[in-house]
Amino acid sequence: MPIYAPTLPPAPDLGQGHPPVLVLMRFDLARLWRQRIGRFFGFAFLLVLLIKLTVIYVKYLLDTNAALRPMQDFAKAVLSQGAEFQAGLLDPASYLLWFLVALVGGGLVARDTLYRVRPLMYAHPVSPRDYLAAKLGFASALPFLVLLPFVLLPWAMSLMVAGLQGPVWPTAPLRLLPAVAVLSLLMGALAVGASAMAATPRAGVGWVLGLVLGTSALASLVHGLTGFAGAEALNPVMLAQSWPQLFAGMDRPLMGWIPATVGTAFHIGLWTFVAARRTLPSEAVI
Amino acid sequence: MISLDRASLRYGPILGLSPTTFELPEGGGITGLLGPNGAGKSSLLQLLSGLLPPSGGEVRVFGQAPFRNPAVLARLGLVPEGDRLPSGLRADRWLRMMGELSGLSGEALKGALAGALETVGMADRAHLTFARMSKGMRQRIRLAQALLHGPELLILDEPFNGLDPEARLGLMDLLRRLAAEGTRVLVSSHILSEIALLTDRILLLFRGRLLAEGTVTEIRQLLDRHPVELRLAGEPLDLARWAVEQPELAALRMEEGAVVLSVRSPRDILPRLQRAAAGGQLPLRALDPLDLNLDAVFQYLTKDHA
Repeated sequence: MPIYAPTLPPAPDLGQGHPPVLVLMRFDLARLWRQRIGRFFGFAFLLVLLIKLTVIYVKYLLDTNAALRPMQDFAKAVLSQGAEFQAGLLDPASYLLWFLVALVGGGLVARDTLYRVRPLMYAHPVSPRDYLAAKLGFASALPFLVLLPFVLLPWAMSLMVAGLQGPVWPTAPLRLLPAVAVLSLLMGALAVGASAMAATPRAGVGWVLGLVLGTSALASLVHGLTGFAGAEALNPVMLAQSWPQLFAGMDRPLMGWIPATVGTAFHIGLWTFVAARRTLPSEAVI
Repeated sequence: MISLDRASLRYGPILGLSPTTFELPEGGGITGLLGPNGAGKSSLLQLLSGLLPPSGGEVRVFGQAPFRNPAVLARLGLVPEGDRLPSGLRADRWLRMMGELSGLSGEALKGALAGALETVGMADRAHLTFARMSKGMRQRIRLAQALLHGPELLILDEPFNGLDPEARLGLMDLLRRLAAEGTRVLVSSHILSEIALLTDRILLLFRGRLLAEGTVTEIRQLLDRHPVELRLAGEPLDLARWAVEQPELAALRMEEGAVVLSVRSPRDILPRLQRAAAGGQLPLRALDPLDLNLDAVFQYLTKDHA
Protein backbone atom coordinates (compact mmCIF):
# COMPACT_ATOMS: atom_id res chain seq x y z
CA MET A 1 0.00 0.00 0.00
CA PRO A 2 1.23 3.52 -0.60
CA ILE A 3 2.74 5.29 2.36
CA TYR A 4 1.26 8.63 3.28
CA ALA A 5 3.06 11.21 5.36
CA PRO A 6 1.33 14.18 6.93
CA THR A 7 3.67 16.93 5.78
CA LEU A 8 6.67 17.58 3.58
CA PRO A 9 9.92 19.03 4.94
CA PRO A 10 10.21 22.79 4.33
CA ALA A 11 10.99 23.55 0.70
CA PRO A 12 14.20 25.46 -0.06
CA ASP A 13 14.01 29.15 -0.81
CA LEU A 14 13.39 29.40 -4.56
CA GLY A 15 13.24 32.48 -6.76
CA GLN A 16 16.36 34.10 -5.29
CA GLY A 17 18.76 33.09 -8.05
CA HIS A 18 19.80 34.59 -11.37
CA PRO A 19 17.66 34.51 -14.52
CA PRO A 20 17.98 31.18 -16.39
CA VAL A 21 19.54 32.94 -19.40
CA LEU A 22 22.48 34.12 -17.29
CA VAL A 23 22.84 30.76 -15.55
CA LEU A 24 23.03 28.91 -18.87
CA MET A 25 25.45 31.42 -20.42
CA ARG A 26 27.73 31.28 -17.40
CA PHE A 27 27.70 27.50 -17.50
CA ASP A 28 28.72 27.48 -21.19
CA LEU A 29 31.43 30.06 -20.50
CA ALA A 30 32.83 28.02 -17.61
CA ARG A 31 32.85 24.92 -19.79
CA LEU A 32 34.71 26.74 -22.57
CA TRP A 33 37.20 28.10 -20.04
CA ARG A 34 38.01 24.57 -18.87
CA GLN A 35 38.53 23.28 -22.42
CA ARG A 36 41.87 23.41 -24.24
CA ILE A 37 40.22 24.97 -27.26
CA GLY A 38 39.60 28.17 -25.29
CA ARG A 39 43.27 28.45 -24.36
CA PHE A 40 44.42 27.75 -27.92
CA PHE A 41 42.25 30.45 -29.44
CA GLY A 42 43.12 32.80 -26.60
CA PHE A 43 46.78 32.43 -27.54
CA ALA A 44 46.11 32.78 -31.28
CA PHE A 45 44.06 35.95 -30.92
CA LEU A 46 46.53 37.41 -28.43
CA LEU A 47 49.27 36.96 -31.01
CA VAL A 48 47.23 38.72 -33.69
CA LEU A 49 46.47 41.54 -31.24
CA LEU A 50 50.15 41.99 -30.40
CA ILE A 51 50.97 42.30 -34.09
CA LYS A 52 48.29 44.97 -34.48
CA LEU A 53 49.65 46.93 -31.54
CA THR A 54 53.21 46.60 -32.86
CA VAL A 55 52.13 47.98 -36.23
CA ILE A 56 50.60 51.03 -34.54
CA TYR A 57 53.73 51.63 -32.50
CA VAL A 58 55.97 51.28 -35.57
CA LYS A 59 53.76 53.74 -37.36
CA TYR A 60 54.18 56.16 -34.49
CA LEU A 61 57.96 55.75 -34.57
CA LEU A 62 58.10 56.33 -38.31
CA ASP A 63 56.10 59.52 -37.94
CA THR A 64 58.09 60.97 -35.07
CA ASN A 65 61.66 59.71 -35.38
CA ALA A 66 63.80 61.89 -37.65
CA ALA A 67 66.24 59.06 -38.31
CA LEU A 68 63.42 57.13 -39.95
CA ARG A 69 62.23 60.05 -42.11
CA PRO A 70 63.35 58.45 -45.42
CA MET A 71 60.97 55.60 -44.76
CA GLN A 72 57.95 57.81 -44.13
CA ASP A 73 56.63 57.78 -47.69
CA PHE A 74 56.83 54.04 -47.73
CA ALA A 75 55.19 53.85 -44.31
CA LYS A 76 52.34 56.12 -45.36
CA ALA A 77 51.63 53.81 -48.28
CA VAL A 78 51.71 50.69 -46.16
CA LEU A 79 50.18 52.01 -42.97
CA SER A 80 47.42 54.26 -44.16
CA GLN A 81 45.34 56.12 -41.61
CA GLY A 82 42.22 56.00 -43.72
CA ALA A 83 38.95 54.15 -43.28
CA GLU A 84 40.50 50.98 -44.65
CA PHE A 85 43.04 50.98 -41.82
CA GLN A 86 40.29 51.43 -39.24
CA ALA A 87 38.18 48.63 -40.69
CA GLY A 88 41.31 46.49 -40.92
CA LEU A 89 41.54 46.48 -37.13
CA LEU A 90 38.80 43.85 -37.26
CA ASP A 91 40.60 41.57 -39.69
CA PRO A 92 40.35 38.67 -37.24
CA ALA A 93 36.65 38.65 -38.10
CA SER A 94 37.69 36.47 -40.98
CA TYR A 95 38.36 32.76 -41.03
CA LEU A 96 40.12 32.38 -37.67
CA LEU A 97 37.11 33.80 -35.83
CA TRP A 98 34.68 31.76 -37.94
CA PHE A 99 36.71 28.70 -37.02
CA LEU A 100 36.45 29.54 -33.32
CA VAL A 101 32.71 30.14 -33.60
CA ALA A 102 32.30 26.81 -35.43
CA LEU A 103 34.30 24.84 -32.87
CA VAL A 104 32.61 26.38 -29.84
CA GLY A 105 29.18 27.27 -31.18
CA GLY A 106 28.75 24.01 -33.08
CA GLY A 107 28.41 22.10 -29.83
CA LEU A 108 26.26 24.55 -27.92
CA VAL A 109 22.87 23.05 -28.74
CA ALA A 110 24.07 19.73 -30.18
CA ARG A 111 25.66 18.74 -26.86
CA ASP A 112 22.35 19.17 -25.07
CA THR A 113 20.65 17.18 -27.82
CA LEU A 114 23.16 14.35 -27.52
CA TYR A 115 22.88 14.13 -23.74
CA ARG A 116 19.13 14.88 -23.73
CA VAL A 117 19.56 17.71 -21.29
CA ARG A 118 16.79 19.91 -22.68
CA PRO A 119 13.87 17.88 -21.24
CA LEU A 120 15.52 18.28 -17.85
CA MET A 121 15.94 22.02 -18.33
CA TYR A 122 12.39 22.49 -19.55
CA ALA A 123 11.13 20.55 -16.54
CA HIS A 124 12.66 23.35 -14.46
CA PRO A 125 11.30 26.89 -14.68
CA VAL A 126 13.22 27.43 -17.95
CA SER A 127 11.29 28.33 -21.09
CA PRO A 128 12.45 27.51 -24.63
CA ARG A 129 12.84 31.25 -25.12
CA ASP A 130 15.26 31.42 -22.17
CA TYR A 131 17.21 28.51 -23.59
CA LEU A 132 17.43 30.01 -27.08
CA ALA A 133 18.35 33.45 -25.73
CA ALA A 134 21.13 31.91 -23.63
CA LYS A 135 22.60 29.98 -26.54
CA LEU A 136 22.31 32.89 -28.97
CA GLY A 137 23.66 35.25 -26.35
CA PHE A 138 26.68 33.10 -25.63
CA ALA A 139 27.43 32.34 -29.30
CA SER A 140 27.22 36.07 -30.11
CA ALA A 141 29.04 37.28 -27.02
CA LEU A 142 32.03 35.08 -27.84
CA PRO A 143 33.07 36.82 -31.11
CA PHE A 144 32.11 40.16 -29.58
CA LEU A 145 34.43 39.65 -26.62
CA VAL A 146 37.23 38.38 -28.87
CA LEU A 147 36.99 41.43 -31.14
CA LEU A 148 36.53 43.97 -28.35
CA PRO A 149 40.26 44.25 -27.55
CA PHE A 150 41.01 44.64 -31.26
CA VAL A 151 38.98 47.84 -31.19
CA LEU A 152 39.77 49.21 -27.76
CA LEU A 153 43.46 48.42 -27.26
CA PRO A 154 44.78 49.88 -30.56
CA TRP A 155 42.52 52.88 -30.02
CA ALA A 156 43.77 53.42 -26.47
CA MET A 157 47.39 52.89 -27.46
CA SER A 158 47.09 55.24 -30.42
CA LEU A 159 45.62 57.92 -28.19
CA MET A 160 48.34 57.44 -25.61
CA VAL A 161 51.33 57.57 -27.94
CA ALA A 162 50.11 60.10 -30.50
CA GLY A 163 46.95 61.74 -29.19
CA LEU A 164 44.37 62.81 -31.76
CA GLN A 165 46.97 62.50 -34.56
CA GLY A 166 47.45 58.77 -34.03
CA PRO A 167 46.80 56.20 -36.71
CA VAL A 168 43.54 55.06 -35.08
CA TRP A 169 40.76 57.61 -35.27
CA PRO A 170 39.55 58.92 -31.91
CA THR A 171 36.03 58.05 -33.06
CA ALA A 172 36.96 54.52 -34.18
CA PRO A 173 35.15 52.66 -31.32
CA LEU A 174 31.94 54.50 -32.14
CA ARG A 175 32.15 53.18 -35.68
CA LEU A 176 33.59 49.75 -35.07
CA LEU A 177 31.68 48.58 -32.00
CA PRO A 178 28.29 48.59 -33.79
CA ALA A 179 29.93 46.66 -36.62
CA VAL A 180 31.29 44.15 -34.11
CA ALA A 181 27.83 43.80 -32.57
CA VAL A 182 26.17 43.10 -35.92
CA LEU A 183 28.74 40.61 -37.17
CA SER A 184 28.80 38.85 -33.77
CA LEU A 185 25.06 38.42 -33.91
CA LEU A 186 25.37 37.06 -37.45
CA MET A 187 28.03 34.56 -36.39
CA GLY A 188 26.15 33.56 -33.25
CA ALA A 189 22.83 32.99 -35.02
CA LEU A 190 24.43 30.91 -37.74
CA ALA A 191 26.36 28.80 -35.22
CA VAL A 192 23.33 28.15 -33.02
CA GLY A 193 21.08 27.35 -35.99
CA ALA A 194 23.64 24.89 -37.36
CA SER A 195 24.23 23.36 -33.94
CA ALA A 196 20.48 22.87 -33.49
CA MET A 197 20.41 20.73 -36.63
CA ALA A 198 23.23 18.47 -35.43
CA ALA A 199 22.93 15.43 -33.19
CA THR A 200 26.45 15.61 -31.76
CA PRO A 201 28.90 18.45 -31.04
CA ARG A 202 31.27 17.22 -33.74
CA ALA A 203 28.47 17.17 -36.27
CA GLY A 204 27.62 20.68 -35.09
CA VAL A 205 31.11 21.90 -35.98
CA GLY A 206 30.68 20.30 -39.39
CA TRP A 207 27.30 21.95 -39.85
CA VAL A 208 28.65 25.42 -39.03
CA LEU A 209 31.64 25.07 -41.34
CA GLY A 210 29.47 23.50 -44.01
CA LEU A 211 26.94 26.30 -43.86
CA VAL A 212 29.60 29.03 -43.89
CA LEU A 213 31.56 27.53 -46.77
CA GLY A 214 28.49 26.21 -48.57
CA THR A 215 26.61 29.51 -48.62
CA SER A 216 29.82 31.31 -49.59
CA ALA A 217 30.29 28.95 -52.54
CA LEU A 218 26.63 29.27 -53.49
CA ALA A 219 26.84 33.06 -53.40
CA SER A 220 29.94 33.06 -55.62
CA LEU A 221 28.29 30.62 -58.00
CA VAL A 222 25.14 32.69 -58.36
CA HIS A 223 27.21 35.85 -58.74
CA GLY A 224 29.37 34.21 -61.39
CA LEU A 225 26.45 32.75 -63.35
CA THR A 226 24.11 35.72 -63.24
CA GLY A 227 26.53 38.60 -62.82
CA PHE A 228 24.30 39.86 -59.97
CA ALA A 229 26.71 41.20 -57.33
CA GLY A 230 23.96 41.36 -54.70
CA ALA A 231 24.05 37.55 -54.53
CA GLU A 232 27.20 37.92 -52.45
CA ALA A 233 24.90 39.02 -49.63
CA LEU A 234 24.32 35.30 -49.07
CA ASN A 235 27.99 34.91 -48.16
CA PRO A 236 28.29 35.18 -44.34
CA VAL A 237 32.07 35.60 -44.45
CA MET A 238 31.80 38.53 -46.80
CA LEU A 239 28.95 39.99 -44.73
CA ALA A 240 31.09 39.85 -41.60
CA GLN A 241 33.94 41.59 -43.40
CA SER A 242 31.64 44.23 -44.89
CA TRP A 243 30.20 45.64 -41.69
CA PRO A 244 33.44 47.19 -40.34
CA GLN A 245 34.09 48.66 -43.80
CA LEU A 246 30.59 50.14 -43.99
CA PHE A 247 30.70 51.63 -40.51
CA ALA A 248 34.24 52.95 -41.05
CA GLY A 249 33.03 54.66 -44.24
CA MET A 250 35.31 53.00 -46.78
CA ASP A 251 34.92 54.27 -50.35
CA ARG A 252 34.72 50.82 -51.89
CA PRO A 253 33.39 48.33 -49.36
CA LEU A 254 32.87 44.69 -50.28
CA MET A 255 29.12 45.35 -50.53
CA GLY A 256 26.72 48.23 -49.98
CA TRP A 257 24.47 48.97 -47.02
CA ILE A 258 21.33 47.51 -48.58
CA PRO A 259 22.68 44.07 -49.59
CA ALA A 260 24.61 43.84 -46.31
CA THR A 261 21.50 44.66 -44.28
CA VAL A 262 19.25 42.32 -46.24
CA GLY A 263 21.79 39.47 -46.21
CA THR A 264 22.52 39.81 -42.50
CA ALA A 265 18.83 40.03 -41.58
CA PHE A 266 18.14 36.97 -43.74
CA HIS A 267 20.85 34.90 -42.05
CA ILE A 268 19.99 35.99 -38.51
CA GLY A 269 16.27 35.46 -39.09
CA LEU A 270 16.63 32.10 -40.80
CA TRP A 271 19.05 30.53 -38.34
CA THR A 272 17.26 31.88 -35.29
CA PHE A 273 14.04 30.43 -36.66
CA VAL A 274 15.72 27.06 -37.27
CA ALA A 275 17.19 27.04 -33.76
CA ALA A 276 13.85 28.01 -32.22
CA ARG A 277 12.04 25.22 -34.06
CA ARG A 278 14.65 22.63 -33.18
CA THR A 279 14.71 23.47 -29.49
CA LEU A 280 10.98 23.33 -28.87
CA PRO A 281 9.89 21.07 -26.00
CA SER A 282 8.26 18.74 -28.54
CA GLU A 283 11.74 18.14 -29.99
CA ALA A 284 13.08 17.43 -26.52
CA VAL A 285 11.44 14.06 -26.11
CA ILE A 286 11.90 12.30 -22.79
CA MET B 1 -2.37 16.82 -6.82
CA ILE B 2 -2.69 15.47 -10.38
CA SER B 3 -5.87 15.41 -12.41
CA LEU B 4 -6.42 14.63 -16.06
CA ASP B 5 -9.77 15.31 -17.66
CA ARG B 6 -9.98 13.65 -21.08
CA ALA B 7 -6.39 14.75 -21.72
CA SER B 8 -4.89 13.44 -24.95
CA LEU B 9 -1.64 13.90 -26.79
CA ARG B 10 -1.02 13.69 -30.52
CA TYR B 11 2.30 13.69 -32.37
CA GLY B 12 1.00 14.88 -35.74
CA PRO B 13 -1.17 12.03 -37.04
CA ILE B 14 -0.03 9.63 -34.31
CA LEU B 15 -2.06 9.39 -31.13
CA GLY B 16 0.37 9.13 -28.22
CA LEU B 17 -2.27 9.15 -25.51
CA SER B 18 -6.02 8.65 -25.93
CA PRO B 19 -8.35 10.87 -23.92
CA THR B 20 -7.51 9.94 -20.35
CA THR B 21 -9.14 10.82 -17.08
CA PHE B 22 -7.79 10.09 -13.60
CA GLU B 23 -6.81 11.76 -10.36
CA LEU B 24 -4.00 11.26 -7.90
CA PRO B 25 -4.67 12.66 -4.45
CA GLU B 26 -2.45 14.97 -2.39
CA GLY B 27 0.18 13.49 -0.09
CA GLY B 28 3.07 11.12 -0.39
CA GLY B 29 3.10 7.64 -1.77
CA ILE B 30 4.35 5.78 -4.79
CA THR B 31 2.27 5.22 -7.88
CA GLY B 32 3.52 2.90 -10.62
CA LEU B 33 2.86 3.81 -14.21
CA LEU B 34 2.84 0.48 -15.96
CA GLY B 35 2.63 -0.49 -19.59
CA PRO B 36 4.55 -2.14 -22.39
CA ASN B 37 6.80 -0.10 -24.69
CA GLY B 38 4.74 2.35 -26.73
CA ALA B 39 1.86 2.28 -24.26
CA GLY B 40 1.95 6.06 -23.76
CA LYS B 41 3.83 6.24 -20.46
CA SER B 42 6.34 8.82 -21.66
CA SER B 43 3.56 10.83 -23.33
CA LEU B 44 1.71 10.99 -20.04
CA LEU B 45 4.88 12.01 -18.19
CA GLN B 46 5.56 14.73 -20.77
CA LEU B 47 2.10 16.14 -20.12
CA LEU B 48 2.53 16.01 -16.36
CA SER B 49 5.99 17.53 -16.35
CA GLY B 50 4.88 20.45 -18.53
CA LEU B 51 7.01 19.60 -21.53
CA LEU B 52 4.04 19.44 -23.87
CA PRO B 53 0.52 20.85 -23.79
CA PRO B 54 -2.33 18.35 -24.16
CA SER B 55 -3.75 18.09 -27.68
CA GLY B 56 -7.19 17.90 -26.08
CA GLY B 57 -8.73 17.90 -22.63
CA GLU B 58 -7.12 19.29 -19.53
CA VAL B 59 -4.11 18.46 -17.38
CA ARG B 60 -3.78 19.92 -13.90
CA VAL B 61 -0.91 19.51 -11.50
CA PHE B 62 -1.22 21.25 -8.13
CA GLY B 63 -4.44 22.72 -9.51
CA GLN B 64 -2.80 24.44 -12.48
CA ALA B 65 -1.90 23.60 -16.08
CA PRO B 66 1.77 22.56 -15.97
CA PHE B 67 2.78 23.51 -19.53
CA ARG B 68 5.42 26.30 -19.31
CA ASN B 69 4.11 27.17 -15.87
CA PRO B 70 7.01 28.04 -13.52
CA ALA B 71 4.71 27.86 -10.49
CA VAL B 72 4.08 24.17 -11.19
CA LEU B 73 7.54 23.30 -12.51
CA ALA B 74 9.16 24.66 -9.35
CA ARG B 75 7.21 22.06 -7.35
CA LEU B 76 8.01 18.96 -9.40
CA GLY B 77 11.17 17.04 -10.15
CA LEU B 78 11.72 14.99 -13.30
CA VAL B 79 14.15 12.13 -13.91
CA PRO B 80 13.86 11.31 -17.61
CA GLU B 81 14.77 7.98 -19.13
CA GLY B 82 18.37 7.25 -20.11
CA ASP B 83 21.67 7.94 -18.45
CA ARG B 84 23.58 9.93 -21.02
CA LEU B 85 25.30 12.84 -19.35
CA PRO B 86 28.19 15.00 -20.55
CA SER B 87 31.04 12.59 -19.89
CA GLY B 88 33.78 15.11 -19.13
CA LEU B 89 31.67 17.16 -16.76
CA ARG B 90 31.86 16.99 -12.97
CA ALA B 91 28.60 15.97 -11.38
CA ASP B 92 28.65 18.74 -8.75
CA ARG B 93 29.06 21.45 -11.41
CA TRP B 94 26.16 20.06 -13.39
CA LEU B 95 24.01 19.83 -10.26
CA ARG B 96 24.86 23.41 -9.33
CA MET B 97 23.63 24.62 -12.72
CA MET B 98 20.41 22.61 -12.37
CA GLY B 99 19.88 24.06 -8.90
CA GLU B 100 20.37 27.58 -10.21
CA LEU B 101 17.86 26.89 -12.99
CA SER B 102 15.37 26.03 -10.26
CA GLY B 103 15.89 29.45 -8.70
CA LEU B 104 18.33 28.51 -5.94
CA SER B 105 21.42 30.54 -5.14
CA GLY B 106 24.02 31.21 -2.45
CA GLU B 107 23.63 29.38 0.83
CA ALA B 108 20.25 27.94 -0.16
CA LEU B 109 21.87 26.32 -3.19
CA LYS B 110 24.77 24.98 -1.14
CA GLY B 111 22.42 23.52 1.44
CA ALA B 112 20.12 21.99 -1.18
CA LEU B 113 23.10 20.49 -3.03
CA ALA B 114 24.53 18.94 0.12
CA GLY B 115 21.11 17.66 1.17
CA ALA B 116 20.27 16.09 -2.20
CA LEU B 117 23.68 14.43 -2.47
CA GLU B 118 23.34 13.10 1.06
CA THR B 119 19.88 11.74 0.28
CA VAL B 120 21.09 9.81 -2.77
CA GLY B 121 24.30 8.71 -1.03
CA MET B 122 26.68 10.54 -3.37
CA ALA B 123 28.03 13.26 -1.07
CA ASP B 124 31.62 12.04 -1.27
CA ARG B 125 31.62 11.22 -4.99
CA ALA B 126 29.99 14.24 -6.56
CA HIS B 127 33.36 15.68 -7.59
CA LEU B 128 33.83 12.84 -10.09
CA THR B 129 33.18 13.33 -13.79
CA PHE B 130 30.26 11.41 -15.27
CA ALA B 131 32.70 9.32 -17.29
CA ARG B 132 34.12 7.90 -14.05
CA MET B 133 30.74 6.99 -12.59
CA SER B 134 28.85 3.73 -12.83
CA LYS B 135 25.36 3.65 -14.28
CA GLY B 136 23.86 3.43 -10.80
CA MET B 137 25.87 6.45 -9.65
CA ARG B 138 24.75 8.47 -12.66
CA GLN B 139 21.15 7.54 -11.95
CA ARG B 140 21.56 8.74 -8.38
CA ILE B 141 22.96 12.04 -9.60
CA ARG B 142 20.01 12.41 -11.96
CA LEU B 143 17.73 11.80 -9.02
CA ALA B 144 19.66 14.35 -6.96
CA GLN B 145 19.05 17.04 -9.61
CA ALA B 146 15.34 16.34 -9.35
CA LEU B 147 15.44 16.61 -5.56
CA LEU B 148 17.47 19.83 -5.31
CA HIS B 149 14.51 22.16 -5.10
CA GLY B 150 12.52 19.95 -2.71
CA PRO B 151 9.78 18.87 -5.12
CA GLU B 152 6.40 17.69 -3.87
CA LEU B 153 5.97 15.50 -6.94
CA LEU B 154 8.79 13.36 -8.28
CA ILE B 155 8.40 11.84 -11.76
CA LEU B 156 10.75 9.08 -12.86
CA ASP B 157 10.68 7.54 -16.33
CA GLU B 158 12.03 3.98 -16.40
CA PRO B 159 14.54 4.69 -13.61
CA PHE B 160 15.59 1.05 -13.18
CA ASN B 161 16.63 0.46 -16.79
CA GLY B 162 20.11 -0.98 -16.99
CA LEU B 163 20.72 -1.02 -13.24
CA ASP B 164 22.15 -4.11 -11.58
CA PRO B 165 19.97 -5.80 -8.92
CA GLU B 166 21.82 -4.16 -6.03
CA ALA B 167 21.53 -0.67 -7.50
CA ARG B 168 17.88 -1.37 -8.33
CA LEU B 169 17.05 -2.35 -4.76
CA GLY B 170 19.01 0.64 -3.46
CA LEU B 171 17.04 2.99 -5.67
CA MET B 172 13.77 1.38 -4.59
CA ASP B 173 14.68 1.91 -0.94
CA LEU B 174 15.48 5.51 -1.69
CA LEU B 175 12.14 6.07 -3.42
CA ARG B 176 10.29 4.44 -0.53
CA ARG B 177 12.11 6.73 1.88
CA LEU B 178 11.21 9.82 -0.15
CA ALA B 179 7.60 8.70 -0.30
CA ALA B 180 7.58 8.15 3.45
CA GLU B 181 8.86 11.70 3.90
CA GLY B 182 5.86 13.03 2.00
CA THR B 183 6.93 13.24 -1.63
CA ARG B 184 4.45 11.88 -4.15
CA VAL B 185 6.47 9.59 -6.46
CA LEU B 186 5.28 8.58 -9.92
CA VAL B 187 7.44 5.83 -11.44
CA SER B 188 7.01 4.45 -14.94
CA SER B 189 8.21 1.04 -15.97
CA HIS B 190 7.43 -1.71 -18.41
CA ILE B 191 8.77 -4.34 -16.01
CA LEU B 192 6.03 -5.66 -13.78
CA SER B 193 8.25 -7.10 -11.08
CA GLU B 194 9.88 -3.71 -10.46
CA ILE B 195 6.57 -1.98 -9.91
CA ALA B 196 5.25 -4.92 -7.87
CA LEU B 197 8.24 -4.61 -5.52
CA LEU B 198 7.82 -0.87 -5.18
CA THR B 199 4.10 -0.28 -4.82
CA ASP B 200 0.71 -1.83 -5.44
CA ARG B 201 -0.95 1.39 -6.57
CA ILE B 202 -0.76 1.46 -10.33
CA LEU B 203 -1.89 3.23 -13.46
CA LEU B 204 -1.96 0.72 -16.29
CA LEU B 205 -1.53 2.03 -19.82
CA PHE B 206 -1.84 0.04 -23.01
CA ARG B 207 -1.75 1.30 -26.60
CA GLY B 208 -2.19 4.90 -25.51
CA ARG B 209 -5.14 4.16 -23.24
CA LEU B 210 -5.46 4.10 -19.49
CA LEU B 211 -6.86 0.65 -18.76
CA ALA B 212 -6.98 0.66 -14.99
CA GLU B 213 -6.14 2.71 -11.93
CA GLY B 214 -5.95 1.69 -8.28
CA THR B 215 -4.38 -1.03 -6.20
CA VAL B 216 -3.78 -4.45 -7.71
CA THR B 217 -6.53 -5.95 -5.53
CA GLU B 218 -9.02 -3.25 -6.49
CA ILE B 219 -8.31 -3.68 -10.17
CA ARG B 220 -8.40 -7.46 -9.93
CA GLN B 221 -11.85 -7.32 -8.36
CA LEU B 222 -13.12 -5.29 -11.27
CA LEU B 223 -12.05 -7.96 -13.75
CA ASP B 224 -15.33 -9.89 -13.63
CA ARG B 225 -14.61 -11.71 -16.85
CA HIS B 226 -11.66 -13.43 -15.26
CA PRO B 227 -12.62 -15.42 -12.14
CA VAL B 228 -9.88 -15.61 -9.50
CA GLU B 229 -7.98 -18.88 -9.43
CA LEU B 230 -7.38 -20.40 -5.98
CA ARG B 231 -5.23 -23.49 -5.56
CA LEU B 232 -6.32 -25.54 -2.54
CA ALA B 233 -3.86 -28.20 -1.43
CA GLY B 234 -5.27 -31.16 0.53
CA GLU B 235 -7.44 -34.18 -0.16
CA PRO B 236 -8.67 -33.37 -3.69
CA LEU B 237 -11.97 -35.25 -3.60
CA ASP B 238 -13.11 -33.75 -0.29
CA LEU B 239 -12.08 -30.29 -1.43
CA ALA B 240 -13.91 -30.71 -4.75
CA ARG B 241 -17.02 -31.96 -2.97
CA TRP B 242 -17.09 -28.82 -0.80
CA ALA B 243 -16.32 -26.52 -3.72
CA VAL B 244 -19.13 -27.63 -6.03
CA GLU B 245 -21.65 -26.56 -3.40
CA GLN B 246 -20.42 -22.98 -3.47
CA PRO B 247 -22.44 -20.57 -5.66
CA GLU B 248 -19.33 -18.49 -6.61
CA LEU B 249 -17.62 -21.44 -8.30
CA ALA B 250 -17.09 -20.91 -12.02
CA ALA B 251 -14.75 -23.83 -12.79
CA LEU B 252 -12.84 -26.56 -11.05
CA ARG B 253 -9.69 -28.44 -12.03
CA MET B 254 -8.26 -31.45 -10.26
CA GLU B 255 -4.51 -31.71 -9.77
CA GLU B 256 -2.34 -34.16 -7.89
CA GLY B 257 -2.89 -33.39 -4.20
CA ALA B 258 -4.84 -30.22 -4.94
CA VAL B 259 -7.78 -28.62 -6.70
CA VAL B 260 -7.79 -25.34 -8.57
CA LEU B 261 -11.00 -23.36 -8.21
CA SER B 262 -12.07 -20.47 -10.42
CA VAL B 263 -14.31 -18.27 -8.28
CA ARG B 264 -16.17 -15.12 -9.18
CA SER B 265 -16.22 -13.40 -5.82
CA PRO B 266 -13.29 -14.42 -3.64
CA ARG B 267 -14.33 -12.01 -0.88
CA ASP B 268 -17.50 -14.03 -0.32
CA ILE B 269 -16.07 -17.51 -0.59
CA LEU B 270 -12.86 -17.01 1.40
CA PRO B 271 -14.50 -16.46 4.82
CA ARG B 272 -16.57 -19.64 4.29
CA LEU B 273 -13.49 -21.54 3.28
CA GLN B 274 -11.69 -20.26 6.36
CA ARG B 275 -14.55 -21.33 8.65
CA ALA B 276 -14.79 -24.78 7.04
CA ALA B 277 -11.05 -25.34 7.36
CA ALA B 278 -11.02 -24.12 10.97
CA GLY B 279 -14.00 -26.33 11.82
CA GLY B 280 -12.23 -29.41 10.49
CA GLN B 281 -14.81 -29.98 7.76
CA LEU B 282 -12.27 -29.35 5.04
CA PRO B 283 -8.87 -31.12 4.80
CA LEU B 284 -7.04 -27.99 3.65
CA ARG B 285 -3.23 -27.91 3.82
CA ALA B 286 -2.49 -24.76 1.79
CA LEU B 287 -4.23 -21.96 -0.04
CA ASP B 288 -2.50 -20.23 -2.93
CA PRO B 289 -4.16 -17.50 -5.02
CA LEU B 290 -2.75 -17.98 -8.52
CA ASP B 291 -3.76 -14.76 -10.24
CA LEU B 292 -4.15 -12.11 -7.59
CA ASN B 293 -0.84 -10.53 -8.51
CA LEU B 294 0.17 -7.68 -10.76
CA ASP B 295 1.43 -10.01 -13.45
CA ALA B 296 -1.96 -11.67 -13.85
CA VAL B 297 -3.83 -8.37 -13.76
CA PHE B 298 -1.57 -7.01 -16.45
CA GLN B 299 -1.98 -10.08 -18.64
CA TYR B 300 -5.79 -10.08 -18.33
CA LEU B 301 -6.13 -6.38 -19.04
CA THR B 302 -3.83 -6.31 -22.01
CA LYS B 303 -5.36 -9.48 -23.50
CA ASP B 304 -8.87 -8.06 -23.12
CA HIS B 305 -7.88 -4.85 -24.91
CA ALA B 306 -5.58 -6.32 -27.53
